[in-house]
Amino acid sequence: VEVFDALLAGFGVALKPINLLWGFIGVTLGTAVGVLPGVGPALTVAMLLPLTVKLDPTGALILFAGIYYGAMFGGSTTTILLNTPGESASIATALEGNRMAKAGRAGPALSTAAIGSFVAGTIATVLLTLLAPLVVNAALKFGPAEYFALMVFAFTTVAAVLGESTVRGLTSLFLGLLLGLVGIDGQTGSPRFAFGVPELLDGVDVVVLAVGLFAVGEALYVAAYQSRLTARLEALTGSIMMTREDWKRSWPAWLRGTAFGFPFGSIPAGGAEIPTFLSYAAEKKLSKHPEEFGKGAIEGVAGPEAANNASATGTLVPLLTLGIPTSATAAILLGAFQNYGIQPGPLLFQSQSELVWGLIASLYVGNVILLILNLPLIGIWVKVLQIPRDMLYAAILVFATLGAYSLHQSWVDLLTLYVFGLLGFAMRRWGIPVGPAVIGLILGPLAETQFRRALSISQGDASVFFTQPISASFLALTAVVIVVPWVWRRVMHLHLRRLPEHAE
Amino acid sequence: MKGSPAEVALSVGILGIGVATAVATSRLPGEGGYAGIGPNFMPGVVAAGLIVCGLWLLFEVFTGGWRSRPPDDAAERGEHAFHAPGFLWVTAGLFAHMVLIGHAGFVIAGAALFTGVARGFGSQRPARDAAFGVVMAVAVFLFFVRFLNVNLPAGWLKPLLGAAGT
Repeated sequence: VEVFDALLAGFGVALKPINLLWGFIGVTLGTAVGVLPGVGPALTVAMLLPLTVKLDPTGALILFAGIYYGAMFGGSTTTILLNTPGESASIATALEGNRMAKAGRAGPALSTAAIGSFVAGTIATVLLTLLAPLVVNAALKFGPAEYFALMVFAFTTVAAVLGESTVRGLTSLFLGLLLGLVGIDGQTGSPRFAFGVPELLDGVDVVVLAVGLFAVGEALYVAAYQSRLTARLEALTGSIMMTREDWKRSWPAWLRGTAFGFPFGSIPAGGAEIPTFLSYAAEKKLSKHPEEFGKGAIEGVAGPEAANNASATGTLVPLLTLGIPTSATAAILLGAFQNYGIQPGPLLFQSQSELVWGLIASLYVGNVILLILNLPLIGIWVKVLQIPRDMLYAAILVFATLGAYSLHQSWVDLLTLYVFGLLGFAMRRWGIPVGPAVIGLILGPLAETQFRRALSISQGDASVFFTQPISASFLALTAVVIVVPWVWRRVMHLHLRRLPEHAE
Repeated sequence: MKGSPAEVALSVGILGIGVATAVATSRLPGEGGYAGIGPNFMPGVVAAGLIVCGLWLLFEVFTGGWRSRPPDDAAERGEHAFHAPGFLWVTAGLFAHMVLIGHAGFVIAGAALFTGVARGFGSQRPARDAAFGVVMAVAVFLFFVRFLNVNLPAGWLKPLLGAAGT
C-alpha cells in the first residue's frame, strides 16, 4: 500500500504537463538519435547529456528515461531495416528481423518489436515497482563492507564472466579503474595521476570516455574498415499491421522474453546479451514453425526484443536501489545523476522519494509515449536511415565533441577525447570489450570510498569483509561465478574429447 | 609464438601502463588515518591488476594467440582492408577542430571537423561538405548559446554571430 501511494505521488510528478513534455522530447530525441546506424543506447545518452544542463533534476531524469527507452527502440528499427546490429544484444533481432524485411515483411517485424517492447517494458516496470522497495529495505542494512563486496561482485560478473575472454574483460575493467583514479582523492584531497594538468584534476568525465570510445572510436573504425562498403537499406513496403497469425505467434514470445530479460537485468550482472540469446533459443525450440528460423520467423524478433527491453528496465533496479550500474548505459545514467549531486541508492528513496517515484512513474508514461509515437512516425525514422553515411558521421562528431569541449572550454578535453577514440578503435579491432571500462570509471571511485570507510570503521582490520555474513556471502558468490564457468568449460572439454564425433 | 605482432604490442602496452602506474603510485602519499590505507592503496591494486593482465595476455600470445578474438582477415569480418586515408582524414578533422576552436571559434572549427570526417568517409565534395558543416554548426551554436545558455566560443565570427557566445 505504501508503494502504491508513493507511485501515485510519482504519477503526480510525471504527469505534470512540463514533465510530460520532457518525456515526449526525450522519447523522440532518443529514437531519432538511436536510429542512426552505429549509435547505440550508451552513446545516445552520452551525446544528449549536455542538453539537460539547465533543467531541474526531476525534468532532466525524466528526459533521460525517455531518451533511454527511445534509444532502445531506435536501435531495433535500424537492426531490422539495415542489418547492422549496433550491439551484441540485437544480433538475434538482426537474424530474423532483417530476413523478414528482405521478404517484404518489414512492417510486421517493426510492429512486433515495438509492441513487444511496450509489453516487456511495462511488465518490467511493474516488477521494478514491486521489487525496488524490497531491495531498498535490504540495502538499508548494508554498511560499507557490504557495499564494497557487492561492487566486487558486479565488477567480476561484468568484466570476467560475461564476454568472450576473461582476461580482456579484466583488462578493460582495470583501464577503467585507472581512469577513475585520475583527479583529487575524495578522502584526503591529494591529487592522483593528474600530472599537474588542471583539466585532469576534476577527474575523467564519463561523457568524454563514452563519447571517445563509442563515437570517435566508432568513426575511426568505420572510416578505416567499412566506409567503402555499401549497406543495403530494406524498403518498408506493405502494411505495418500484424496479421492475426502474427499476434498469435508474438504474444507468448513477448512474455517469455520478458521472463528471461528482467531477472538478468536486475541482478548485478546486467547485460542483455545472455537473455536475448536464451530467448531466441527458447523460441526456436518451442516454435511450431522451427523451419522458418533463419529465414524470418516473427517469434525470433518478438522474444529477443522483449528480452532486451525487459533487461534494460531491469538494470534500473540495481542502479536506483543500490547505486550500482551494470551496463555502460547505466553507468552513463549514473554519471548524469552525479552531475546533479544525486547519488542513487536506498537513501535516495527516503530523502528524495518524489524524484525517484516520479522517475519510475515516467517509465510507465514513457512506454506509452513510445507506443503512440513510434509506429505512426516510422516513415520519419526510415528517412533518418537514408542520410548518407559521410554526412551522418560528420554530424555525429560535431555534436559529440561539443559535450567534451563544454566541460572546461579547453582543447585538452578534445585531445583526451581523441586518445579515448584511439583506445576504442584498438579495443574494437582486437576484441576488448568497452563496457567494463565505462563501468569501472564510474564504479571504481565509489568502491574505493566504501573500502576505505569499511576499514576506517574496523580500524584497519581487513577481516571485516569476510566476517560480516552479507559481505562474506557476496564475496563467496563472486568466487562461485568465477570458478563455476571455468570448471564447466573443463568438464565440457573432457566430455567432448570422449565423444570424438563431436570434437571440433 | 603464434600471436600477431599487434597482440604482442597491445599486451606489452598494457604491461607498460601497469608498470608506469606502479611507479607513479610509489610517489603517492601512503598515510591513511584510521583505515590504515592511504590514497596509494587503490592505485597499487590497479597497477597490480594491469600487470597481471599484461602478463596473462602475453602468455596467451605465446600459447597460440589471444583466445576467440575478431579474425585478422578483413573479409572474414565482412569488412574491407584497413583504409589509411579514411582513418587519417577523420583524425585530421579532429585535430583541426582541436586547434581552431579556441581562436577561430566553434562554427569554423565545426565546419573543418565536418569536412574532414566526410572526406574520411569517401566524400569527394569538400566545398559542399564545408557549407553543410557551417550550416549545422551555426544551428547547433545558436541552439546551445541562445536556448540552453551554454557558452561556446564565437571566435572570428563574433561580429556575425552577435553578442552570443564568449
